[in-house]
Amino acid sequence: MRTKKILLGLALIMFIMPSVVWAAGQQEADKEIVLKWPTIWVGADSKAPMVKALVDEFNEMYDGKYQVDIEENPDYDAYRNKLNAQISAGVVPDLFVFNVSQTSFAFYEGDLLMDFSEDLDSDWGDNFVEGSIAGATIDGETKSVPFEIAVTPVWYNMDIFNAAGVDEVPTTYDEFFDACDKIKAAGFIPTSQMTGGTNAWTSMLWFSHIAAAIGGPDVWEKDITDPVFVQAAEILLKMYSDGNTSKDAIGGDAGVSGGHFLAGRSAMFINGPWYIGRVKSEAEAVYNATTIASAPGSEFSGAQIGFPQSNLAAAATDDPRKKEATVAFMQWMTKPENVKKISFDSGALFAVGYTVDENEEVDALQGKFMNAINDASFINTHFQYNYTSDVVAEFGQALAKMALGQATPEEFVEQIANKID
Amino acid sequence: MVQKGLKKLTAVDYIAKIGKWMYIIFFLFMTFAPIIWLVISSFKTNFEFETQPFSFPAVWQFQNYQNALQMAGLPRLFLNSTIIASCAMIVNLGVSAMGAFAISREKFKFNETILNIILAGVLVPIIALMVPYFKIVSSLGVYDTLIGLIITYAAMNLPVSVYLVHGFMGSIPIELEEAAVIDGCSFTQRFTKVVFPLTKPGLVTAGTLVFIYCWNEFTYAMLLTSSEASRTLQLGIRFFRSQFVVDYTSMLAAIVITMIPTIFVYVFLHDRIISGMTAGAVKG
Amino acid sequence: MRNKNWKQILLFLLPVLTLFVVYFVYPLGFVFVTSLTKWNGIGSMEFIGLDNYIDLFGDATFRLSLRNNILWALIRAFIHIPMAAGMAMILARKPLGWKTTRTIIFLPNVISQVALAMMWLAIYNAEFGILNSLLEGIGLSHLAQNWLGNTTTALPAVIVQQVFYIGYFMIVILASRMGISDTYYEAAEIDGANILQQELHITIPMLRGILITTMTLALAYGMRHFESTYLMTNGGPAHSTSVLGILLFRDMGALKYGEANAIGSILIIFGGVTIAIIRWLFSRNDSASDAAQ
Repeated sequence: MRTKKILLGLALIMFIMPSVVWAAGQQEADKEIVLKWPTIWVGADSKAPMVKALVDEFNEMYDGKYQVDIEENPDYDAYRNKLNAQISAGVVPDLFVFNVSQTSFAFYEGDLLMDFSEDLDSDWGDNFVEGSIAGATIDGETKSVPFEIAVTPVWYNMDIFNAAGVDEVPTTYDEFFDACDKIKAAGFIPTSQMTGGTNAWTSMLWFSHIAAAIGGPDVWEKDITDPVFVQAAEILLKMYSDGNTSKDAIGGDAGVSGGHFLAGRSAMFINGPWYIGRVKSEAEAVYNATTIASAPGSEFSGAQIGFPQSNLAAAATDDPRKKEATVAFMQWMTKPENVKKISFDSGALFAVGYTVDENEEVDALQGKFMNAINDASFINTHFQYNYTSDVVAEFGQALAKMALGQATPEEFVEQIANKID
Repeated sequence: MVQKGLKKLTAVDYIAKIGKWMYIIFFLFMTFAPIIWLVISSFKTNFEFETQPFSFPAVWQFQNYQNALQMAGLPRLFLNSTIIASCAMIVNLGVSAMGAFAISREKFKFNETILNIILAGVLVPIIALMVPYFKIVSSLGVYDTLIGLIITYAAMNLPVSVYLVHGFMGSIPIELEEAAVIDGCSFTQRFTKVVFPLTKPGLVTAGTLVFIYCWNEFTYAMLLTSSEASRTLQLGIRFFRSQFVVDYTSMLAAIVITMIPTIFVYVFLHDRIISGMTAGAVKG
Repeated sequence: MRNKNWKQILLFLLPVLTLFVVYFVYPLGFVFVTSLTKWNGIGSMEFIGLDNYIDLFGDATFRLSLRNNILWALIRAFIHIPMAAGMAMILARKPLGWKTTRTIIFLPNVISQVALAMMWLAIYNAEFGILNSLLEGIGLSHLAQNWLGNTTTALPAVIVQQVFYIGYFMIVILASRMGISDTYYEAAEIDGANILQQELHITIPMLRGILITTMTLALAYGMRHFESTYLMTNGGPAHSTSVLGILLFRDMGALKYGEANAIGSILIIFGGVTIAIIRWLFSRNDSASDAAQ
């Protein structure tokens, strides 16, 4: 009898439900232009509160005229899969964010995305950091607006360096491996590394740093089988040998490489400014001991790795009012003072320039990040930016093979090259 | 019933007994350890979780549960998950029971063929179907609705359910139905009065598996909904997974919270119904 | 010969066939057609015949993944299912605490795979993992290693993580086992059969149908295995734990739908053939034993 009742109740719910759904659908029939914005900057993301505040302010400003609705998509990987499937089915969200890579530039094909090149030709375009609009333009069409950028310098835990009797961060790879030996002797792990995850993140960034030091600003124009990359692979392999990294680095994910640095076990680590908040709240001693600098130099020195992180994009439309609303929103989000608010609140960096008054307080580590950018002799993109995502995945697999002694540096670059079309 | 005490236990019986208990204890350990670990970890700080995954928390962080409970729109997500999983289960069971009945209890030209084709559906790597499923759901006009997910989940689980229910129906003696036909039962009555009641343990089992699948499914819940009005709990759990930083322990707390209803469903629906019914089951 | 109930049969089959056509036949048609093309989901499709298939079979990673899938399928069918059946047989005799035991053994199927993967990553970790500590504790420290970080142990480690979670198939087999009348066992006991003999001569023959059903499902699940490996190793290190689902997912992420869908098609065809062979072997056995009677 009990089951019958339960089943009956469920059947009832099922019957009522369509009307609930229908009622919810009715509310959207307003005259104002409503733009849906599935965004990843929600939930626990550090940019979430300020992004929401700015959207609210925008909606208030254009009350009755335009409205932007945030749709929450916290998990980035899942969001990307959805975006890919949606766009492949020919449905483009009104507004969206995407991670800039050679894979996502495929979105530019066809006429699915709105082209902002004419609008950016005005004063609006002057807001952006030099070269960033060019980086978002293909064949004269700027189908996305540069937004978040990232710099990923090396994080040095100076407490460990001092304990090992090393006072300065190494500036050449000879000094680097000398320091590694001293750090090991003092009982610490020299570098944080990982081959796991979707992109072997930390090690992929090490590789990018080494490649920039050996090959200079134009290194990514070279073929991946170029001797420069073989040399870079040799150095990376050395970082994986003789206890220069943790035992769990092969197969490890971002939790592994970040965890060792957070716990004060590893001396050197690479990540972007978004990690500042984590270190500050969970490992204050490490936060205080951290120095930000470039990786050791070789033929070139003082390089930094920086790259466009997320661009804003929108669906192409024939409706002039919708286009107007979209451009208004894009301009609002990339207004220097608004970008500054998000940046100060979250620690993130942007492709939009803004001025900082001397009396304004910047987070100490974020300040070191900004100095690192300003001091850089040149800024190179990372490996991930220059290849499609399946090639990036192959990087981690090939790296593990090399680190396990099953492939030479030559075979390592060869394995990656085989994956490139 | 034969009294066990009357019979002398042989060596084989003793070994079987010891083996049995070792077997049970081993599996209990393998399956219960994760639950304990999960619950303990959900009370840790993220730092403790990443650096000492098997220790007890220094201070029990009830804050994690507070975070999880403050997850945006939790009651709504909870309601949605319940509606979706229950309705998908009912639709799925209804459809697959009818289909399995026709295939297993009637002889016609194509029953083996149909069964085999549906069975092939079990092999389909569902993740490969994101683009077509998005197209189907959009063109049916049910994108971002509960109905969209209900139909999709009910359909996705059809191959397994049809196959399982068919298996259970196959074990019901055909004589029972023949007797029912003599008593004047129609085709439909044979289904509702004879086969359906006897297949209940199988249906409940298949239903439990469907319910749990729907409750835990993430990829398609993400793909086919966009607003809070139709999202499920699994999307809520991801609330703690932002682009660069994951709040693991709050996420674990959310997992613990969302796990409770499924355990409830399993214990109360599945166990009660199965135990209640098997008492009167007939076989062979 | 036409069945006189054909109208009702059709009516009963209509819902299942409709849903199946919409949610399986059409999407699979899409998968198969695009597998013959080069397509990034946005631009136009370029028909390239069987090139994707030819490329895949020439790729060592693909062949390794296919081998791993077959291994998963066999282990699921011939190790996982017997373990689940064994537990179902034990619990059907209602030993002390059998209901609680049944619930607990099913629990891992209720928790999200994400949480399970996180725990096992911590167990296998080379720096602070509990498995290495355990080995060191019993004086076997030479066996301690980076379990998920080398090509010899990673695959076994990922398989072990899954193979003992028998709850899913256990409840299916148990539901069927509970339907066998006690009278059979009582009669056997009077005849002096011990428990093992009873299980061997009564339970297993009577559960034959459901055992074949669950084994078939287990084979299929092994062929399309994806989630736990994706969460624990993402196919690494050096592709050693890779399965077809991982490659498919990676290609989809890179907007290579042609190749992704070729993998999907191969998976379905390969799995179908495997299952057909297994079922044929069983049915041949069936008719052989029928003839013997």
